[in-house]
Amino acid sequence: MTDDRRGLALGLHLGVLALLGALQLVLPPFHHGMVARVMVLAAYAVGYNVLLGYTGLMSLGHAMFFAAGMYGTGLTIQHWGFGAGAGFLAGIVAGLAVAAAVGLVTLRTAGPAFLIVTMMLAQAFNLATLYFNDVTGGDQGFILSGLGLDLFGVRLAFADPAVKYNAALVVFAACLLLSFWLTGSPAGRVLLALKENEERTRLLGYNTVRCRLFAVVVSGLLSAVAGSTYTLLFSYVGSTFGGILYSIYPLLWTLLGGAGTTLGPLVGTLVMTYFVDVASAITTGYLIVVGAALIVMVLWAPAGIVGGIRVRWAPWLP
Amino acid sequence: MTPLLETRALSKRFGGLEAVSAVDFSLDRGEVRALIGPNGAGKTTLVSLISGRLGPTSGRVLFAGRDITGLGPWDRANLGIVYTFQITSIYRSLSVFDNVALAAQRRRLRRLADWVALDRAAVAADVEAALDTAGLGGLRDQQAGALAYGHQRALEVAMAMALKPELLILDEPTQGLAPEDIEALCRLVRDLARVATVLLIEHNMEVVLELASRVTVMDAGRIIAEGTPREIEAHPEVQRAYLGR
Repeated sequence: MTDDRRGLALGLHLGVLALLGALQLVLPPFHHGMVARVMVLAAYAVGYNVLLGYTGLMSLGHAMFFAAGMYGTGLTIQHWGFGAGAGFLAGIVAGLAVAAAVGLVTLRTAGPAFLIVTMMLAQAFNLATLYFNDVTGGDQGFILSGLGLDLFGVRLAFADPAVKYNAALVVFAACLLLSFWLTGSPAGRVLLALKENEERTRLLGYNTVRCRLFAVVVSGLLSAVAGSTYTLLFSYVGSTFGGILYSIYPLLWTLLGGAGTTLGPLVGTLVMTYFVDVASAITTGYLIVVGAALIVMVLWAPAGIVGGIRVRWAPWLP
Repeated sequence: MTPLLETRALSKRFGGLEAVSAVDFSLDRGEVRALIGPNGAGKTTLVSLISGRLGPTSGRVLFAGRDITGLGPWDRANLGIVYTFQITSIYRSLSVFDNVALAAQRRRLRRLADWVALDRAAVAADVEAALDTAGLGGLRDQQAGALAYGHQRALEVAMAMALKPELLILDEPTQGLAPEDIEALCRLVRDLARVATVLLIEHNMEVVLELASRVTVMDAGRIIAEGTPREIEAHPEVQRAYLGR
């Protein structure tokens, strides 16, 4: 890709972030909180997209990475009295450890085998959090209180909606820009190559096993960052977030927005979250609506929303 | 002098079929060697064992005197053993530039730090040079899958060139090409042979006679003859097994 197109794309990404920043000034309270939540979940989807969109590996176990970040942060704060900053780091370390372990276990699998192995590992992880419910609180979970950060002598309480919104924005921006940087980097080029033609990539001199491990770790890391942030901002830890549904959600968000596009995960998460919100106001069986949406998408818009825009109008989108 | 490449009693068994059986093969630096033989003779299997696409059942592979039998295909590529596929294997959804850049950037990614601070201008220059040599200069922004077949073959060779190979293995490069494209490809291989050792699997005897300094003939997993193109043409066993006379 030529440099001016790359500059245009960077401008678009910064513009989207600026728009998200400006939105908080006009959004009514309910939507203010909703968009903050969407940004955290979109960071999770950005992490998922690194693996699905740019490496071609479909996981059904990403909730395990999200939950690793969540428990790494929540448990250290609850049981060991960590502050928010130290808890965040603990979540990242937990996420890295789980992602590296999963990456090593799944090295030799691809396609459906990768999907099944990740799903089983995530189920085992989820059952473990239920089994040790005296520590984790099981499916009831536990609520944290009084979380916040002291920044230059100013107390930023995460319960404050404005702090919540901007913290979510900062985390999302970091994940999005990392993903954007990756698409323009030599490593990103190799991941795309791996997705399209693994044997060719091996014979060009790339250790594809190591490349794949790298992709799993980066994807798991971003997911854990999102999980940890979720715990800090919404003060809750629970095994629901490690369940199969939270492995399916990022897949759905990424496919809806456009797998292999940097902005797709945000668009998909935003659209689906509002869609579910509207649907659940109408019926308690909103998951049926979600399933129907997935079928419609696979049939008529396989490239997703941003993917479709790229195909038709903007081939320069990363 | 140590040969550039040597195989010792190299064998590959697929179930009951011994596709390559106890092959001792050696290649000197600077040669253009043609590897010929009827279909199913084991030519592609032999070069796959050399490039590391396949692991041998028994035997050893040495490159510049070093035992590389246990190395993965990526390590062999980084040592300079470069393989181009019999069936065109390019990244169809990527641009021509990105296809070649994947090869060109590899040599500049030796240390971990190179992955964050790659010299992009140098990679781009390498890519342009390879594209120009392969006659693809004007097609850099095209999607590779949309190229004409002859151009796809040339792209495959351009990727190989961008890796700056010591040993270039070409698996039937002229297969399916029109006569004028064959001529262009021969010119390209001759250019490459000035800087690399070439091992060429080829059915087209005109191409073999034009390019190769020596010819190795395989049949049923074994080497049955080796010599200059003229000697091979006259070899009675070769005529029976391969040329059908």
